[in-house]
Amino acid sequence: MPMSSKAEKDLELDELLELERGGAPTEPESCPESELEVPDDALGTARRLWAAARGQRWRLLVAAVCSVLYVAGSLGATAYSAGLIDLLWGNIQATFETGAPFVVTLENGGLQILTFLGIWTAAWAAYTVQVLVMASFAERLNLSLRERIGEKLARLPLSYYDAHQPGDTISRATNDLDKVSEVLQRGLLQLLIAVCMVGGAIILMATYDLVLTAVFVVFGLVASVATKLVTARTLKVAAARQAALGELTGRVEEAYSGRAVIKAFGREDASLAEVGKAADRLMETSATADFVTNAIAPAIRLLMRLCQVTVGLLAGGMLVMGQISVGVFQAFFQYVMQASEPFTQLALTVNMLQGALAAAERVFTFLDEGEVVPDPERPAGLPEPVIGRVAFEHVRFGYSCDRPLMRDVSLVAEPGQKVAIVGATGAGKTTLINLLMRFYEVDGGRITLDGVDTRELTRAELRRQFGMVLQDAWLFEGTIAENIAYGKPGATREEIEAAARAAHVDFFVRTLPHGYDTMLSNDAENISQGQRQLLTIARAMLTDPAILILDEATSSVDTRTEQAIVRAMEAIMENRTSFVIAHRLSTIVDADLILVMERGTIIEQGTHAELLAAGGAYAELYRSQFA
Amino acid sequence: MAQKNRDYSKRTSLRLLASLVSPYKALLAAIFFAAICDMMGMLFIPTQLSAMVNVAVNSRDMSALMGHGVAMLVAALVGSGGYITTVFLASRLCAKVGRDLRMRVYDASLAFSGSDFNAFGTGSMITRTLSDANVVQQTLLMSILMIFPVPLACAIAVALAFSTDAVMGWVLLVVTLVVIAICAIAVAKSAPIFTRLQGFIDNMNTRLRESITGVRVIRAFGKERLERARLCETFGDFATNAIRVNIVFALTDSITFFLMNAVEAAIMWVGADRVGAHAMQIGSISALVEYAMLIMMFLMMAQFAILQVPRALACLTRAAAVLSTEPEIEDAERPVRLLAHHAEPGEEVARFDHASLRFSDADEDTLHDISFALRRGQTTAIIGNTGSGKSTVAKLLLRFNDVTAGGLTFEGVDVRRVSQEDLRRRIAYVPQKAWLFSGTIAENLRHGDAEASHERLWHALEVAQAGFVRDLPDGLGTRVAQGGTNFSGGQRQRLAIARALVRDADLYVFDDSFSALDYKTDAALRRALAGELSHAATLIIAQRVSTIHDADQIVVLRDGEVVGLGTHDELMSGCPTYRAIAESQSRGEDAHV
Repeated sequence: MPMSSKAEKDLELDELLELERGGAPTEPESCPESELEVPDDALGTARRLWAAARGQRWRLLVAAVCSVLYVAGSLGATAYSAGLIDLLWGNIQATFETGAPFVVTLENGGLQILTFLGIWTAAWAAYTVQVLVMASFAERLNLSLRERIGEKLARLPLSYYDAHQPGDTISRATNDLDKVSEVLQRGLLQLLIAVCMVGGAIILMATYDLVLTAVFVVFGLVASVATKLVTARTLKVAAARQAALGELTGRVEEAYSGRAVIKAFGREDASLAEVGKAADRLMETSATADFVTNAIAPAIRLLMRLCQVTVGLLAGGMLVMGQISVGVFQAFFQYVMQASEPFTQLALTVNMLQGALAAAERVFTFLDEGEVVPDPERPAGLPEPVIGRVAFEHVRFGYSCDRPLMRDVSLVAEPGQKVAIVGATGAGKTTLINLLMRFYEVDGGRITLDGVDTRELTRAELRRQFGMVLQDAWLFEGTIAENIAYGKPGATREEIEAAARAAHVDFFVRTLPHGYDTMLSNDAENISQGQRQLLTIARAMLTDPAILILDEATSSVDTRTEQAIVRAMEAIMENRTSFVIAHRLSTIVDADLILVMERGTIIEQGTHAELLAAGGAYAELYRSQFA
Repeated sequence: MAQKNRDYSKRTSLRLLASLVSPYKALLAAIFFAAICDMMGMLFIPTQLSAMVNVAVNSRDMSALMGHGVAMLVAALVGSGGYITTVFLASRLCAKVGRDLRMRVYDASLAFSGSDFNAFGTGSMITRTLSDANVVQQTLLMSILMIFPVPLACAIAVALAFSTDAVMGWVLLVVTLVVIAICAIAVAKSAPIFTRLQGFIDNMNTRLRESITGVRVIRAFGKERLERARLCETFGDFATNAIRVNIVFALTDSITFFLMNAVEAAIMWVGADRVGAHAMQIGSISALVEYAMLIMMFLMMAQFAILQVPRALACLTRAAAVLSTEPEIEDAERPVRLLAHHAEPGEEVARFDHASLRFSDADEDTLHDISFALRRGQTTAIIGNTGSGKSTVAKLLLRFNDVTAGGLTFEGVDVRRVSQEDLRRRIAYVPQKAWLFSGTIAENLRHGDAEASHERLWHALEVAQAGFVRDLPDGLGTRVAQGGTNFSGGQRQRLAIARALVRDADLYVFDDSFSALDYKTDAALRRALAGELSHAATLIIAQRVSTIHDADQIVVLRDGEVVGLGTHDELMSGCPTYRAIAESQSRGEDAHV
């Protein structure tokens, strides 16, 4: 139900109450900044990523070679600049001694400046090849992984969907893979460049002066240790921020859902104060978190600047003593600058790499989830025409093996009968639908459709016989016409409109500015919940199924729509076997068969009169709820 | 036209931003000062370094060298200190702005009527209150850290270059302008692609969510293959665009890199000339190179930050839409105060006088021409099918909606002339959906009356048949989860009733509040209520005839119109609709008995 958060909310509450559900909803939608996460099997995950990158690996290799060339070029350019400055300074001083002003020409240093530019240009070329080659590497890899996720979604059993929050799965396909691509795009090569740059710079520095090099190395090591320590702290403040955000979100959601109560009791000010308190806490924690996260780099940079000051003073002294030349001084300094940034980046990049591997691991875990039993190789066919006789024969079922819900359920819905399903919220009315549609498989016994075991059919064949109208009126982003024609893509406009008329939604659609071509979208709440349900009725109408599964609307619908829904449901139920999750007295009383559900199983069945006479759970429920 | 709209929304969002930031002028000034320190420090390091070289090659004066060393140390400390202070202050400022935006949106929402609120929708309102404000906060922070310092850095660097040598100053100025131009072109080129990329990300999320939440429907219709194709299409679109963005970034990166090299070589060449002309010293060359590098680095960062800005502006526009919505229901300018009540039995508390309600988007009345009065000591019941407009009557009384024709008076005063607070204080309301708030049971009950004593709370619980609270280990202090989901539907309903009873009101409204209760509890509750509410008027909205059997008057609604008004016995003989309802419900009873 992507378009109605209200219904989503209701459903969530119901799900909370739903007993005996397989797994609990896991993980919130977004994890706190999880850069410090560590993969369980780094090597295995890296190997799988490498395998997934088939066809793209050359890019990585070319980029790696280019990165090394780039580092060599830029370090070389700096080394060359040392000699260049000395040469220029020598020539300048020599010219000064003659008393003439000095002008750069190709002969007295200009050529060397151009050579210097040439070296840099070579480094630049290598760099450019690297970034361009890598520009598409990560996204191509991600695309292939996303396509695998897309395929996976179709093969996962419903139990997976019921046990996991949608946000959890979505974030694997989006956030997790984004993290992977970010690191593959830049991080991996940054790491390579950083290692080469730091290593190369230190070696070259050492050729000039060992003491100065030692000073730099000491500062560098202190900086990387500091980075590691501070990063651990960021995780803590990020978690505090996340907690504060969670609290505020809870408060706001609660207040928005309970608006009527807040207003009726005149608690606007009190509620404002409560939300304000939570917002204040979020303000405090996020100010701290933002500060810590953004202050690491400058703090480390301060260390490196202190290193520069120390090196500057020492080298300056050596320069004064004539121990080193101006060119060497400047080149040395350049190395310090060139290697400082990568040094601080090293620690962060390693963390990022770990986080990305952990993210990739989550994606692979998802891709490894168990799948549905494949359809039988030689599926049975249904006798034509399908008349819609549904039978449960000694059905045994539970969402998890150790907690069976249905132990031995048998029932028969004759063709054209109306079967009402009643029970309190959370009694497991959806369980029945799950089994009928084979969203879940029975653990024992069998369900037959016109005498054929539903497991001998392909799922597509079985489901084609059913029309389903649920309360969480799921529609996709597309036009109204496309949504109605969902089950019958080739439907003509006439057929679509006829279905809409039968579902009593034609008039409403016509009042919309774009009629049947109105786009249904996420945030436009131009279509009410009830009207959505009417559209789903029209959608089911168009496929002309033999059997219907209906969920009657409860209260959140206005009068006219409510009446339209009732009429539409009566129309669609005509001459079809129908299973109705019933809230309406008239539906229940008129039903050919009433199934009373409790704790996920059918505890009683019969007609209204039979069940009342029996004086069991139904009689009790009926008196408490409907009398 | 579209252009105009965009300009308009941009202006709205900027105006909102200005009003959000304006209370923190002192903080802004401090940030500005800290940023200057940061820039000065950062740029003085190469300056001092080059001064060291110059000392070393010219005067060879060790103490002057030390002096520059100390100056460099100070520059490092001031620069880094300035930057860290900027981060600290900016984080605070942005966190405050984020909080203020959230609170403004939330505050505005409190004045909304149900229709106002639903025009946005709960989901969208939550987004506007929480994540939109977050985007604004983070983007503002990034702007302060990455965009804001750029003009400062450029100005200081160029000024320093001019102070070294005028010719070099011009060189640096030209370099700066060229880089700015290149960055501007890059931003202009990539901004639309980047915005489109945002759209593709949203698409990807939407489609994924659709295919997950709709998995039952998709499989019921056998559409797995189609959904997969649709998903892969959005994945592909995203990848294509993301690669395009990456290439634009890579090219800009590459061009800037090349420029850096060219500039370094040029500065060496021109710099050597200037040294040769005695205009500057050899050490200054490296300082100038460093200035140029810093400018380019800043501009690169700014470019990245600027691309995030349109998204934040869109979030601001969405918030502004909430803030500029005029609430449908507003208090009169000089509201009439309701007088203190004097409990005369039979006195009229509220009266519907040919009242009708039509929602602005409807073409039929939801309630049409209804007339009846609620009197002290009397119980009025409303019955009718689901959707006959029963709950809407309660909403009119509470002024969640206003009548669109006819009138509604409370203690003789038109409700529109009374302040909402004053009116609602006189009414105790039990909503159809018993919603509780996170906190303790006592806190929830005291929503009815903040001052209520313990005894009063317990009394209300007893009357509401919520004795189960006594058996809870923490009693009144028991925690209530968000929405009250840790209690069963019946328990929640009884707590909601107790919450209303804690209030000493003139009118008690029970909106379908007994339907979650079993028969016995329902009866016991009604018996207990009878004695309790004799001083006030009671309105019970119900589905079961048995619940309202004893009411003093029963209003029968059908399709928003009153089709019967009287006692049970009168209606049984005179109102076919009522009789039909009663008979359909007693059928079961008879069969059972």
